Amino acid sequence: ILDDPDLKDIDPTVLKHCHAAAATCILEAGKQRADISAISTCLEDCKLDKERIEQFCTEYQKNKDALEILLGSIGRSPLHITDVSWRLEYQIKNNQLHKTYQPSYLVTLNVENSDSGSHPDVSFSCTMEQLQDLVGKLKDAAKSLERATQM
Amino acid sequence: KLNIGFDTIQHGIEGLVYLLTESSKLMISEVDFQDSIRVLGFSDELNKSLLQLYLDNRKEIRSILGELAPRLPSYHSLEWRLDVQLASRSLRQQIKPAVTMKLRLNQNEDPTAQVLQTDPATLLHLIQQLEQALGEMKMNHCRRIARNMK
Repeated sequence: ILDDPDLKDIDPTVLKHCHAAAATCILEAGKQRADISAISTCLEDCKLDKERIEQFCTEYQKNKDALEILLGSIGRSPLHITDVSWRLEYQIKNNQLHKTYQPSYLVTLNVENSDSGSHPDVSFSCTMEQLQDLVGKLKDAAKSLERATQM
Repeated sequence: KLNIGFDTIQHGIEGLVYLLTESSKLMISEVDFQDSIRVLGFSDELNKSLLQLYLDNRKEIRSILGELAPRLPSYHSLEWRLDVQLASRSLRQQIKPAVTMKLRLNQNEDPTAQVLQTDPATLLHLIQQLEQALGEMKMNHCRRIARNMK
């Protein structure tokens, strides 16, 4: 904003105040999920004229969804799983034991941290029975999600 | 009681241990085992006892050796729960469903538990991917390899 040619005649301090005020207003409106009439009323109390209020509200309405998504994504949560990779392997031997002939799965859960954005993925090995157990439990969770959405 | 020197007994035990672990590790057949110990020049009775000792303990020795191999943490169990986030410091009036899970793994006999979360869409994706993984084992390719490797 400080580099905008249209605004170069205005005192930078005033500009900063305006920007901060506008940002605060927008964020607070977004946080409270205020509707247009509430925002209008608030701006009227601040003695803004009708035209400016209308302009502000139109712009706000255009960006409301994006704003809410952004606000909703701020906050702490446990590590979030974003994807899974798997590998099926058949072990033949290792240096301690030959002729092992054991199939096994290697599963990696790709994980994202809301703070730093990266985190070592969670990897583990399992047998077919264990993987069936895991998938069974995930399906239970999905079923109960479905039931919850129907309530 | 046996009237033999300490060293001899120690060597004897080490020899037995080596014989049994190597045989178990390689999973050699009865015939191969008998042929191998024949060169030691023991009596037939002793050879028979050794063979029996091998056969009786082979499975257990192999399972102990199996635990020495390099391993990743292995799956133990999963607990889950359904959460709905209703509000946060930065946004009120939300309805954000999530599945929170506790994944229990075993790393070299040490149990670990990790708390993870995912959204409904990713959950369905996980299920689909892992079901595909399970399906692979039933495919002809895997079955053929398993059969031919033995």
